[in-house]
Amino acid sequence: MTAKTINLTLKVWRQGRGEPIGRLETCRAENISKDMSFLEMIDVVNEQLTKDHQEPIAFDHDCREGICGMCGAVVNGRPHGHERETTLCQLHMRHFSDGDTIVIEPWRARAFPVIKDLVVDRSALDQIIQAGGYISVNTGGAPDANSLPIPKDTADAAFVPAACIGCGACVAACPNASAMLFVGAKVSQLSLLPQGRPEAAKRVSSMVRKMDELGFGNCSNETECEAECPKGISIIQIARMNREFFKARFS
Amino acid sequence: MKPDVTSDLTIDPKLDAKIPAGPLAEKWDRHRFDIKLVNPANKKKFEIIVVGTGLAGASAAASLAELGYPVKNFCIQDSPRRAHSIAAQGGINAAKNYANDGDSIRRLFYDTVKGGDFRAREANVYRLAQLSNHIIDHCVSQGIPFARDYGGFLDNRSFGGAQVSRTFYAKGQTGQQLLLGAYGALMRQVAGGMVTLFQRREMMELVVEDGRARGIVTRNLITGEMETHTAHAVVLATGGYGNVFYLSTNAMASNVTAAFRAYKSGAYFANPCFTQIHPTCIPVHGTFQSKLTLMSESLRNDGRVWVPKKPGDNRKPKDIPESERDYYLEAKYPSFGNLVPRDVASRNAKDQCDMDKGVGETRLAVYLDFADAIKRHGEGAIAGKYGNLFQMYEKITGENPYQTPMMIYPAVHYTMGGLWVDYNLMSTIPGLFVLGEANFSDHGANRLGASALMQGLADGYFVIPYTIGGYLAGASFGKTHTGSEAFKTAVNVAEQRVQKLMQVNGRRTVADFHRTLGGILWDHCGMARNEEGLTKAKGMVANLRKEFWEDVYVPGNAADFNQSLENAGRVADFLEFGELMIDDALARRESCGCHFNTAFQTEDNEALRDDENFCHVAAWEYAGDERSPLFHKEPLTFENVALTQRSYK
Amino acid sequence: MSWFYDTIRTSIGKKLLMALTGLCFCLFLIIHLIGNLTLYGGQELFESYVKHLHALGPLIRVAETGLLTLAIIHVSTGCFLVWQNWMARPVRYQVNKNAGGRTIGSWTMPYTGFIILIFVAIHLSNFHFIDHDRQTVFQAMTATFTFLPYVIFYTLAVVVVAVHVSHGFWSLFQTLGANHPKYMPAIRGLGILFSLLVAAGFGFIPAFVGFIMN
Ligand SMILES: Cc1cc2nc3c(=O)[nH]c(=O)nc-3n(C[C@H](O)[C@H](O)[C@H](O)COP(=O)(O)OP(=O)(O)OC[C@H]3O[C@@H](n4cnc5c(N)ncnc54)[C@H](O)[C@@H]3O)c2cc1C
Ligand code: FES
Repeated sequence: MTAKTINLTLKVWRQGRGEPIGRLETCRAENISKDMSFLEMIDVVNEQLTKDHQEPIAFDHDCREGICGMCGAVVNGRPHGHERETTLCQLHMRHFSDGDTIVIEPWRARAFPVIKDLVVDRSALDQIIQAGGYISVNTGGAPDANSLPIPKDTADAAFVPAACIGCGACVAACPNASAMLFVGAKVSQLSLLPQGRPEAAKRVSSMVRKMDELGFGNCSNETECEAECPKGISIIQIARMNREFFKARFS
Repeated sequence: MKPDVTSDLTIDPKLDAKIPAGPLAEKWDRHRFDIKLVNPANKKKFEIIVVGTGLAGASAAASLAELGYPVKNFCIQDSPRRAHSIAAQGGINAAKNYANDGDSIRRLFYDTVKGGDFRAREANVYRLAQLSNHIIDHCVSQGIPFARDYGGFLDNRSFGGAQVSRTFYAKGQTGQQLLLGAYGALMRQVAGGMVTLFQRREMMELVVEDGRARGIVTRNLITGEMETHTAHAVVLATGGYGNVFYLSTNAMASNVTAAFRAYKSGAYFANPCFTQIHPTCIPVHGTFQSKLTLMSESLRNDGRVWVPKKPGDNRKPKDIPESERDYYLEAKYPSFGNLVPRDVASRNAKDQCDMDKGVGETRLAVYLDFADAIKRHGEGAIAGKYGNLFQMYEKITGENPYQTPMMIYPAVHYTMGGLWVDYNLMSTIPGLFVLGEANFSDHGANRLGASALMQGLADGYFVIPYTIGGYLAGASFGKTHTGSEAFKTAVNVAEQRVQKLMQVNGRRTVADFHRTLGGILWDHCGMARNEEGLTKAKGMVANLRKEFWEDVYVPGNAADFNQSLENAGRVADFLEFGELMIDDALARRESCGCHFNTAFQTEDNEALRDDENFCHVAAWEYAGDERSPLFHKEPLTFENVALTQRSYK
Repeated sequence: MSWFYDTIRTSIGKKLLMALTGLCFCLFLIIHLIGNLTLYGGQELFESYVKHLHALGPLIRVAETGLLTLAIIHVSTGCFLVWQNWMARPVRYQVNKNAGGRTIGSWTMPYTGFIILIFVAIHLSNFHFIDHDRQTVFQAMTATFTFLPYVIFYTLAVVVVAVHVSHGFWSLFQTLGANHPKYMPAIRGLGILFSLLVAAGFGFIPAFVGFIMN
């Protein structure tokens, strides 16, 4: 049997609000149970920091079950850590070893300015959705749900990109800080469904334009995004968005 | 079933539920006709604040903006899309009867009233069942990728013990998909300039002026600034307060603060002790656990629940022969078996563990075994149905449920209690509306699976857009501004609370207090309650609160992004609210649904209702910090269903 | 034409430019390689190929202008993208690790591109901008390929081209939207094969010229 608890050294990015730049600071994480999640490990460190009258590490989190997309930090160079298809809140300490040093940094992108420590401002993603990531239907007056049969394959295909949790790991992982996977996922979901077709051309054009405006980088098909996406969304969605874009612009 | 007339004194004129007259099935229709309309040209003059961006809040904000009202919408998270509704897994009910298996609006209504152990209003529940169908239509038109069958039509499953298949679902991510639909609608209105979005804001105070809700005070969670916002009506859709138990399946930011501030401003709080404890969650593993994870209830469709027959049995599950296993749910409830309602399943698991038949390291767990289902249908079929859940379980526990039975234990999941509202979803403060899990309205003493999403969306998409108009058209508003006395006072109160929290400068952390509070409530105001325990807990909570204000330590700065301070404020409210829950549990001297008082049970250990004396909603009025809250009751009358003893045998 | 400008100005538009020009260069590489293969058939075959090629006259001018335009677009868009991408992350990570998405080809694109640019310039000055009356292409080639430092440089450059193409080839399909789970693995395979062919086809020329022909 291996030991149930481990001790770690953390190097955490600390940056006060309003500070233009931060620094890595070292602290210890002692007696960490291997059953804890990564965020629970930070909780423990924060309890200790608080007891020592130091400021705890600021980090975003909410559901802690991998669905809200609120958590996220770059752990040893990997967004959400090294486990595949896992959010930080679902990364468990059993995947680390006693004595490890862990470097924790915030998502880094011009479009995601740091608010404090590991907390960044991701409202750019909301702005992209505002540019057209929806189907324009007012409440009331929708026809019976079964009046529009949608082939199961199509519905299933639309579901795949719909699983995006908007955490921003794709941007963090992209060497160019591009948001193409995020945008591609939304464009794909809505363009696959018949309900989304009427606005498809307008949607893709304006979402792409908005994405560019917000200072995200350009996609150069590095495919790091799909490798880090906690929901396993593939760059096939980007290719579909490109098709939609060309269709919209050249016809 | 006449309401108890002996205590007529406690019936408050404010608790007029305003149920429309007429036959049950026509009430909502008639009411919609009777409600005054706001002239379309005037809508832009009425500002509306919506606090919360979950299913209830986002759907309300979007729908109101579509009508032409300028809306301000607030949430704690960095994006409206992250509201806790996102986590709902199982599905959403509707009485479409697509499965042709005997469902109808009336059946959904009946199941909901009965499931709630006859502690909800008939008229509200019936309206909910009626609106359920519109929700599905609307959500499909929004592009929500619900599961479909090979013919391309919507697929349904049976859920949470329902005997008909009426649950619509999108894999295990129904809440996420529905919320993203509502979020999309909301973003469309933000783009159109009708909704102004305020993320990373926490509502600190409700502002009541001339007896009407006229605005809120929020704390900007980035800068720490107090901000004020005026409106003609305030809509709270701030979710449930399950986190009062510290460990729950709720998201970390779920809180009672917004509702509790409204309560302190005069809104009545209804049935605060009604909290649902969900039977299938991953058991607790250690002190530093921060939250519990729900495993969808659908697992009980194929999994068999068992414990060893012998108390204290330490053997591995595979070493325990069939004859020494106790499939207690199947034995006790032959017709429903593993599919009994949540409260029944949870209570039985607790009973087994109390008898020292619990399993796992902490001995606070029971097995949920898929071996038979795998044998019968094959591993592939089971993986097809539950693959993602099994994966999640393995991720968290490190155990493979295909090979060894899952371990589950009940966890706090949903709060049926909430701010009291009338049929229009308006609280006892004129102009303050409450939607979704934050209100008390539709689930009585126990909520059926897949009904919360339905209620949140019914409230937001289809009820509030009508009823708020009735209020706005009928009221006369004085001028208000953020510099008025009422606003100044509210800001002051909020600022002083923050100051006070920062100044205690004690030794214990906020989380430490929260954990202790949760422990007290879980032990004494959880799955089973009794007077002695509740009384003891009341004292303990009061002491803990005192200690909190003497010994809590909140690091950092009030004028900064300060998560410890955010938590401190929420825990401070939980500490007061916990006592209200206990008061409510003590006052309800019967058992019903989730509220199981061990002194009131049938011979088979089922909840024993007292319809003679307790067929009412308990609504609590704040009376001042040093005084006990005032109890009021809204009697419940049932004209369309017979009150029966729930039996799942 | 403002819609056209609006389109190519977007990030996907720029990708499209890179992909289309890249595609043209891939085609050019194929033609160039086929032409050079005549070399393996001996001096005569090669010289007749050069003669036929030059006989195309104005067509050649058109092709050259075309290639030059493509090069300008490819290089300038590429530079702009590199600059924009650099700007998109003003504070870099302290620890960089990749998750297995990036390849040598993909992360070196700007660098390999730069080397190729220099190589092309030298290559043209060696074989193209020479006085064709004084020296045939074949003579120029045998002369250069017996100069060892140049042989090394040339071979390395060809490898660099192959590396560049190993990412560029499949990438252009992805950009054009041709990504399908069924076919993408084949396209990726083809990309590798293509870059190997380019490396081998061009890379053995100096050896062939240096050791076998002489
Ligand atoms: C794990 C899990 C699974 C579930 N599965 C199902 C299911 O399958 N089917 C079903 O029907 N139900 C399910 N439920 C229940 C259901 O998800 C919730 O009851 C419902 O989503 C609540 O929606 P809401 O809009 O009322 O509140 P929430 O979604 O909780 O939203 C609350 C909003 O209010 C904001 N807010 C809160 N406090 C403040 C404040 N003080 N200031 C400013 N903003 C504030 C938050 O930021 C958030 O935007 C599940 C619940 C859980 C926990
Ligand atoms: S906290 Fe919600 S995804 Fe991690």
